[in-house]
Amino acid sequence: MRISKNLPAITLIVMWGLMLLTACSDEPEGGAEPEPETGHIKFTFAHNVDNQPVQLDRMMYENSAGNPYEINEVMYFISDVILYKEGGRGLLIDDWKDIHYVELAIPSTLTWEVFDDIPAGTYDSITFVFGIPEEKNESFMFVNPPEDKMMWPDILGGGYHYMMINGKWLDENEIEQFYNFHLGIGQLYHGDEINFDSIYAFVQNYFTVSLPGSSFVLNKGQTREIEIVMNIESWFETPHDFDFNYWGGAIMEIQPAMKMGVENGHDVFSIGSIK
Amino acid sequence: MKTFITSIFLIYVVSVQPLIGQEVEKTILLDSVLIEDEALDEVKYVASKYVTKKDLQNQQIRDVGEYLRSIPNVSGIRRGGANLDPVVRGYKYSQLNVLLNNGVKIENGCPNRMDPVTARIETEDIGNIEIIKGPFLLKYGPSFGGVINLKSEVPQPYDQFEIHGNAQAGFESNWNGEKYHGSLHGGDRKFQFMVAGGYRNYGNYNSGYREGLETEVKSSFTKYNYLAKLGYSFKPNQQLMISYDGIHGRDVLYPSLPMDEKSDDTHIFGLDYKGKNLSPVLKEIEAKIYHSDVHHVMDNSRRPSAENMLMVADVNSSNTGGRFVTTFQFAKHRLLTGLDYEHIMKDGTRTGTMEMMGTISTKVSNLWLDALIRNTGIFAEYHTYFSSYELTASLRGDFNNATSSDTLEVSYEGIDYFKDVDSEFFNLSFSVGITKKISSNLDVSLAFGRGTRSPNMLERYIKLLPVGYDRYDYLGNPQLQPETNNEIDLTFQSNFRNFGSMYLNFFYSYVQDFIFANLLPPTVIMPQSQGVLGVKQFVNVDHITSTGFEFGYNSPHQYKLGGSMIAAFTYGVIPEVTKYIISDGEVVDAVQITNDALPEIPPFETTMSVFYKFLNSNLIPTLKLRVVAPQGHISQAFYEEETPGFTLLDFSIRWKFAKFMELNTGISNIFDRAYYEHLNRRIIGSKENLYEPGRVFFASIYAHF
Repeated sequence: MRISKNLPAITLIVMWGLMLLTACSDEPEGGAEPEPETGHIKFTFAHNVDNQPVQLDRMMYENSAGNPYEINEVMYFISDVILYKEGGRGLLIDDWKDIHYVELAIPSTLTWEVFDDIPAGTYDSITFVFGIPEEKNESFMFVNPPEDKMMWPDILGGGYHYMMINGKWLDENEIEQFYNFHLGIGQLYHGDEINFDSIYAFVQNYFTVSLPGSSFVLNKGQTREIEIVMNIESWFETPHDFDFNYWGGAIMEIQPAMKMGVENGHDVFSIGSIK
Repeated sequence: MKTFITSIFLIYVVSVQPLIGQEVEKTILLDSVLIEDEALDEVKYVASKYVTKKDLQNQQIRDVGEYLRSIPNVSGIRRGGANLDPVVRGYKYSQLNVLLNNGVKIENGCPNRMDPVTARIETEDIGNIEIIKGPFLLKYGPSFGGVINLKSEVPQPYDQFEIHGNAQAGFESNWNGEKYHGSLHGGDRKFQFMVAGGYRNYGNYNSGYREGLETEVKSSFTKYNYLAKLGYSFKPNQQLMISYDGIHGRDVLYPSLPMDEKSDDTHIFGLDYKGKNLSPVLKEIEAKIYHSDVHHVMDNSRRPSAENMLMVADVNSSNTGGRFVTTFQFAKHRLLTGLDYEHIMKDGTRTGTMEMMGTISTKVSNLWLDALIRNTGIFAEYHTYFSSYELTASLRGDFNNATSSDTLEVSYEGIDYFKDVDSEFFNLSFSVGITKKISSNLDVSLAFGRGTRSPNMLERYIKLLPVGYDRYDYLGNPQLQPETNNEIDLTFQSNFRNFGSMYLNFFYSYVQDFIFANLLPPTVIMPQSQGVLGVKQFVNVDHITSTGFEFGYNSPHQYKLGGSMIAAFTYGVIPEVTKYIISDGEVVDAVQITNDALPEIPPFETTMSVFYKFLNSNLIPTLKLRVVAPQGHISQAFYEEETPGFTLLDFSIRWKFAKFMELNTGISNIFDRAYYEHLNRRIIGSKENLYEPGRVFFASIYAHF
C-alpha cells in the first residue's frame, strides 16, 4: 500500500472523525454540582408610614413637627451588609456586589437576591451601612440609570446621594411647597453664608444601621427571605422633630439639617419578616 | 454547458431546501459578480483567495469589509453604516493579520473598533486583495486565524512618459448615498507618480419591511481620502517608492455602540524598495519602512444619554515599523528569509461631564496611557517541488514585549486583576503544507500550521469600554498569555476546461490559551459605559476547538452563460465555561457549562450567482441568490440569541457602453427583506437587532483613459 496514494483518504477520515467528535455534543451540559454546604439569602424592601404601606402622591401624612406632607419618590443606597454569626464573627456580603440601590418606583430594586454562598448556621444579627462609605463613594462609578441620577455634585463633596425622598408639604400658609429630603456628603462653610467658595471641609454622613430582631437560622441549601422595612416617617422624628417650615425644601447644602436627618435615621429601618 | 449549469442549479436548490423549509422565504436566484479565483503561488496548499480590482469595481459596497463578506467563511461585524470588521472562520480582531501593501500595520484608534484596518483604504484605491485563511502564511507577521493583505494600486513604469486617469461616481437609494473618486497616474522609465482622492457621503438607511414597518437605522457617515505616490526606478529592476495616504471620517454613526465617531484622521507614510533578479540566486530584495498615525474622537452627543452625562473619548495611536525580505532561488528550491519590526503606541482618555445644580462635575480617565507594544519577528519560508508534490514550509519567531504608564491597580481580596503592566513573550510559529498533483486537473493538499500571537493593546490594557459582542465593559489584562492556533487543513482543488474550477476545504482548529472574557463582580470594578450590564475581563481559557468547511465553484470563462457557487460552515466549541445566572439585570448565581458554543460564529450560508454575457461580454446581467441558515448553535454563557435565516436576491448589470466607460447598476435585496446577520451587534442599551439595509437601487459610472 502506498501511503502517499492513500494519504488524502486517510486524512479525510481523520478529519471527519475529529469533526464528529466535536460536533456530537450539540447541547451544553450542566456540570455536576456537589451538594452545597451553604444557603442563600434574599432581601426584600418594604416602605411604610405609620406602620402602613406608603401611599405616594397623597397629602395624607403629618410629621411630628406638624407639617402635612406627601411623598412622591424614595431612592436610596445601602451597602456593606454584614451577617453576624453566633460568637460575633461577621460575614460581609461582597462576593458579587456590596452596594444595593432601592427605588420605590422600580420593583426590581425592591428585591436583592444575594449572589454570595452563605455558610449554613445561626446568625445573630444583620447590619448595613446606610448610604455609601467614603472609600467607595466615587463620582462617576454609576454611569447607568437608575443609579446615575443619584450623583452628588463634586463641589458639594462628590460621590452619590445616600438617599432622595422627594415630595411636597403644606407651609404655614397652607401653600404646597416641594421638598427634596436628600442625604449625602455634607459641607462645612466659613461664616454664615452658604456658597461654594466658602466650603472648607466635608462631612461623611453615612452611618451603620443595626437591625433589631434580625437573627435567623440558615440551613444548607436553603434560601431565606429577609424583609427590611423603611419606616419613612421616622426620618422626620425621634430624636429630632424635622420642621420643613424651618429648614426649607432643599437641604443638600445645609449640614445641620442633614445631621438631624442622620440622627433620626438610626431607627428608621426594621425587620418586617424572615421567611 | 447549459445542461451543466442547470444541473448545478438543481443541486443547489435541493441543497438549500431544508433551509427554505425552516424559516427562509423561497425566492429565485442569480448573481452579480463572477469572482475569478486564482490560487496564490505560495499558498495554494490552503484556502486562499485573490481579489482583483475588477472584482471590486463590479460590487455595490461601501467599504472593504462589506466586500469581504462575500468570500466563503469570511464575515463582517456591523456596528453601523460603515467600516465592517472582518471575521474569518470565527476569528477576528488581532486573531487576523490585516495589513496594507505587504506590511503596513495600523493600530486602530477606536477601542470599540469603529475603525478596523479595512476602513483605512477605500475600495477604489485597491489593486488587489489576498486572503489566506489559517495560521499558514507567516511572512507578514504573526498569523493566528488568517491574513488579509490589502494592496493599493501602485504606479507602473512606462517606456515613454504617459499619463492615465480614471473617475468614478455612484449613487445609492435608501441611504441617499453618493460617492466620487478620481485618480491620475503615469510616468516614464525613471519616475512614476499617482495621485488619487475620494469622497463618500451616506445618510441613514432603512431596513426592509417587517410587520408592515421599516426601521430607520442611524447609520450616516462621511468619509474622504487622498493619496500620493512617487516612484523612482534607478535601474530597470529596482524601484524606490515614497507614499502618503490620508483617510478621514466625520460623523460616522454607530447605533450599536455607546458613542459615535466624531472624527477620525489617519495618516500613513511609506517608503518601499524593491529589487528583482539581482543575481542568478538572489531573486528579490524587498524593504519597507512605514509610519501610520490615527487620531480618533468619539462622543455620545447625539444620544439621549448625553442629557445625563456627556462622554467624550479621544485616542491617539501609531504604528511604526518595517521589514526586510530576501528571496533566493536554487534550482527547484526557493528560500525567503526576512525580519520585521512593529512599534505600537496608544494613548487616550475618556471624559465624562455632568451638570447638576448649575455646577459641572467632570471625570477624566485613561483608556490607555502611553501603552507600548514592540514586536520583532524573524521568518523564513521554503518552497520546493519534487515528483508530483509541492512542499512549502514556514517558520517564524516573534519577540514581543509590552508596557504601559498605567497607574490603575485593581486588586480585591488578594487577587490582582490589573496591576503589573509589563510582559514579554517569545512566540514560535510554523507551518508546513504539501500538495499532491493527482492529475493535471486535480490537486489535493494537506497543511498543518501552528500560529501564536501575543495579546493586543485592547486585550492587555483597555479600561472599561464595551468592545465585545455583549453589553459589558471590558477590562484589559496585562498578564494575559499568547494564544496559539493549531490547525490542519485538507483542500481539494480541480480545474477542468469544460467544467470550471472547484475547491473543497476542511479545517480543524485547536486553540490553546484561547483569549476569552470572564465577568467581574461590581465589588472588584464598576462599569464606566452607559447601557452596559457589568464588567468583563480578558482571560485565557485552556482551549477551544473550531471546525468547518468551504466550497467554491466557478464556471468556465469561455461560455456566455456562467455562474459561481460558494458554501461555508464553521462550528466552534468551548469545552468549559462559567455561565452567570442573571435575574432582573443582576447576577444571582454562577454555573459551569460544558461544550458551550463559541459566540459570534456565523451560520452556514451559500451563495449562487448566474450571469450571461451579451454583446461580446460588454453587457453582463447577473443574478445572485444568497441563502443563510438560522444560527441555533449559540453561546449560552454569553446569552447569545438565535438568529433567523434569510434569503436575499440581488440583480446587477455591468454595461461597458464605450471603450473607456462602464456602467454598473442594479438592485440589492430585491424583495426588501428585513434581516440581520448573526454577527451584527445589537443596538446599544436594548435588545433590538441592528438590521441590514432594505432594498437599494444603485448605479455607478466608471471612466478611464
